[in-house]
Amino acid sequence: MTKNINITLKVWRQKGPNVKGGFETYHATNISTDMSFLEMVDVVNEQLTLDGKDPIAFDHDCREGICGMCGAVINGRSHGPEKGTTLCQLHMRHFSNGDTIVIEPWRAKAFPIVKDLVVDRSAFDQIILAGGYISVNTGGAPDANSIPIAQEIAELAMDAAACIGCGACVAACPNASAMLFTGAKISQLALLPQGKPEAANRALAMVNKMDELCFGNCSNERECEAECPKEISISNIARLNREFVKAGLVSVVK
Amino acid sequence: MQLDAKIPSGPLAEKWDKHRFELKLVNPANKRKYNIIVVGTGLAGGSAAASLAELGYYVKNFCIQDSPRRAHSIAAQGGINAAKNYQNDGDSIWRLFYDTIKGGDFRAREANVYRLAQVSNNIIDHCVAQGIPFAREYGGLLANRSFGGAQVSRTFYARGQTGQQLLLGAYSSLMRQVAAGQVTMFPRREMLDIVVINGQARGIVVRNLITGEIESHAADAVVLCTGGYANVFYLSTNAMASNVSATFRAYKKGAFFANPCYTQIHPTCIPVHGTYQSKLTLMSESLRNDGRVWVPKIPGDKRPPNQIPESERDYYLEEKYPSFGNLVPRDVASRNAKAQCDMGKGVEETGFAVYLDFADAIKRDGKEVIEQKYGNLFQMYEKITASNPYEEPMVIFPASHYVMGGLWVDYNLMSNLDGLFVMGEANFSDHGANRLGASALMQGLADGYFVIPYTIGGYLAGTDRPEITTDHPAFKEATHYVTERTRKLLSINGKRTVDDIHRQLGQILWEYCGMSRNDEGLLKARKLIQELREEFWKNAMVPGSSEDFNQSLERAGRVADFLEFAELLVIDAFERKESCGGHFNEAYQTEEHEARRDDENFCHVAAWEYKGDDKDPELYKESLVFENVTLTQRSYK
Amino acid sequence: MNWLTNTIGASVGKKLMMAITGLGFCCFLTIHLAGNLTIYGGKDFFNSYVDHLHSLGPLVTLAELGLLFFATLHILTGTLLFYQNFKARPIRYSVNKRAGGRTLGSATMPYTGFILLLFVIFHLLNLHFVDKTNTTTFQLLSSSFANPVYIFIYTFAVIIAAIHVSHGLWSAFQTLGVDHPKYTPFIRGLSIVFSVAIGIGFGFIPIYISLLI
Repeated sequence: MTKNINITLKVWRQKGPNVKGGFETYHATNISTDMSFLEMVDVVNEQLTLDGKDPIAFDHDCREGICGMCGAVINGRSHGPEKGTTLCQLHMRHFSNGDTIVIEPWRAKAFPIVKDLVVDRSAFDQIILAGGYISVNTGGAPDANSIPIAQEIAELAMDAAACIGCGACVAACPNASAMLFTGAKISQLALLPQGKPEAANRALAMVNKMDELCFGNCSNERECEAECPKEISISNIARLNREFVKAGLVSVVK
Repeated sequence: MQLDAKIPSGPLAEKWDKHRFELKLVNPANKRKYNIIVVGTGLAGGSAAASLAELGYYVKNFCIQDSPRRAHSIAAQGGINAAKNYQNDGDSIWRLFYDTIKGGDFRAREANVYRLAQVSNNIIDHCVAQGIPFAREYGGLLANRSFGGAQVSRTFYARGQTGQQLLLGAYSSLMRQVAAGQVTMFPRREMLDIVVINGQARGIVVRNLITGEIESHAADAVVLCTGGYANVFYLSTNAMASNVSATFRAYKKGAFFANPCYTQIHPTCIPVHGTYQSKLTLMSESLRNDGRVWVPKIPGDKRPPNQIPESERDYYLEEKYPSFGNLVPRDVASRNAKAQCDMGKGVEETGFAVYLDFADAIKRDGKEVIEQKYGNLFQMYEKITASNPYEEPMVIFPASHYVMGGLWVDYNLMSNLDGLFVMGEANFSDHGANRLGASALMQGLADGYFVIPYTIGGYLAGTDRPEITTDHPAFKEATHYVTERTRKLLSINGKRTVDDIHRQLGQILWEYCGMSRNDEGLLKARKLIQELREEFWKNAMVPGSSEDFNQSLERAGRVADFLEFAELLVIDAFERKESCGGHFNEAYQTEEHEARRDDENFCHVAAWEYKGDDKDPELYKESLVFENVTLTQRSYK
Repeated sequence: MNWLTNTIGASVGKKLMMAITGLGFCCFLTIHLAGNLTIYGGKDFFNSYVDHLHSLGPLVTLAELGLLFFATLHILTGTLLFYQNFKARPIRYSVNKRAGGRTLGSATMPYTGFILLLFVIFHLLNLHFVDKTNTTTFQLLSSSFANPVYIFIYTFAVIIAAIHVSHGLWSAFQTLGVDHPKYTPFIRGLSIVFSVAIGIGFGFIPIYISLLI
């Protein structure tokens, strides 16, 4: 049932990357439980604007859980308390009247803060840039059906490919590790025959880039898998490990 | 001025081959000397930037988001069409061409659409080679599904995330070129103006959304792939940042805007629940295969759906269209839902919703079968609405979803401004007055992977362009204009938020220029838009400064453009005295209330030229010549 | 040999070293436990096992050096990983909540590891680096466990070790990339069984000995 609730927000405010930030408290009143979390922030921002204050900066775009732009840590949970849900798809009906909600940005050395809840996730692009692709030029591809791929393998690849690059795995990892993100891409491409020729190079290059960008090390805490809005499995991390060891110790790639 | 679409001569099936041969080539060694600016990183932009870079051009690629992987193409669910005929069910390039032309209500160019159907097969080949995990049969070959009323099964898909997978494929190719140094990425940049020198597009001016700095970039050609303007309706299924600014800036610099009144309203979206709703979510059209659409017979009936007896339900689509029933095309379904709600028969608190009921299907096939077919959609619906569609009927309502209109381009995808190419949803070219499902992805990738790499070479090799740097006065002028406009926005200091004004603009358009339009309403809308625009510049409130990350300022700039563009949309709708596809003028309908085209007087592209802020735009017509198909009237009775 | 240092120097490589050395310790624990269980065969049986073990001479030394090498690797790499992981998040969250992935074992690895290091040093000083000329190992044990403090220390350490391996064992397999929908549930189960076995197997020995006195 739709109802209206009042909540208190404690939001991390930080004017820029090198400025000291801190929590500010806001009251959101008369919030319909049908609203999404971001719509609730919209309401708060409208009020802040009307009051002549600086609205809360936060990233968002598609608002249907696929672009990966949104994300914040809500009461200690990446994208909030619901499983398999991005922040934009989280609805206020999961909160109660009188709740206090603490909103923090993704925290990781590799994701410096731009402003308030907005972080710079270009490190993810850097990881993909290191090798998250198949080197094929437009125009030279053989017929799409020339290589059959077992349905189960295609499905596993799709499971990994569902990653939206939001960064929740890094935010949720106690070590701020990017292994789930990296593992998902390495897995997707290592599973498919088209990706196999470059698998060794890719595994080495992407892992090295990930390390260079100061992400933490995976200690198999499984928080990433639990918080991933697309519920990507840590099996992909195991596959990354396998691919990396193969590449490092037995492949001919230097 | 005569609009020349530069359609090659010869038989339809040979035009593209012939044209490719006739286009001048750029020597491989010379390609690296050319700079190309690509704005946007969606399916069209991402694929264009990657393919051009692969050829050896030096590309600067801009996007509004923090990463090129987030463009709104990512949200496309259903699939991508191709004429592979893997199912042996009678598909062919010709059939895909014909379906697309007919689906577009005969308002697209034959030659463009035929080329689209031709290269559709190459797209699938390339995407598989990129490692896109399309759905497969048990035998390991690619699977297809039917879509959007086509009689053949030609849609390739990757679960409900086809757009995402295709976009990430283009993104990966793009990243490979960034790594190779052929592409430089400029994320979090918004294009605020285009620089035209001697009639040639030579660069752009962008705002760095993090620092607020205004940057100038010069190039030999500019490619706009900046998507559609459905957000002019405020509520739409588009992403929050989707906007008209880039194409509208180009329009103001002389590029013609074509068919802005062709807007697609998708019938099955989750309805609006309140004032602060920020966007609408699409539910796949496939739901209408088993769901029955109905409203209570008595206006204002507020009983819960399960308490309304069968005899008091109005299954209006089934009654009105006995042969197609709930499966009438998008525009027909949408218009009828609106008509029912206008009669006060809408459901929910807002009165702007109709039921989509699965009770009969569940009774007939069992819950398991329905769950197998629509399980993920039902789950998504329940997540958003907290109502269980197995128990209660879904509520749905049409929403603005896609726009067929866009900047005018010729067969080479170049606008009337030399060197300004426009691709994907941002151009007007391939979908006529209505787009079929699973065709948007096809068009974006066709343009980027397989058309622009050829046609841009023809342009670059065939024109003289003086050496130009960003020191040219035209860049200074554009920078000045942009800075001045930003300053103006920040100094309004009014009392209404930008979102509030945008919301009102959306209401005006939805009411008077939405699913069905009439002359009186359009005239009224135009006046209301002018008044609202005036209010915006007097009473909007844009906080913050121009020298840092300021999302309010970003939005204000976009809404300011929407306020101007909306008027153009209304003018175009007023001028088109017929009904076709996404444009329905109530004065032009058959006795059965279906769209009635006027092929004699309106079989043309309406391209608008900007004449000044205080003057009406000037209309140019490009006649559409159909040599290969016969124009027919649609009927779904 | 660049390729080797590059491989084991990477984050995954370091984890790999933790996994291999950790699995080595799990093997060692199994053998150690098997030996210790001879205590239930009585004083003489236990002492004869010890004598038999010591009669292996250089092999024991070799094994000890191997363990020392593994320990050094495990400790140094672990410390480095801990330091890097700490640095990867310079500003911590003000609210921390688990999403369901973390366990007691996984969340405390560096700390349980550190306690175990202290315990191993204590354990070696207590029972290894002592003058055994006029006494049997069993007598050493008896005199140690006559003191309740010793019983507490040993039991506590064993519980800590059980917690450490409850995460460590399956985690090592995961790091080695041994993951399969058919076998992974078994490996997870094995970790729990193993840690309980370690806990109970080692944990009761001090109590048992103290009861014998």
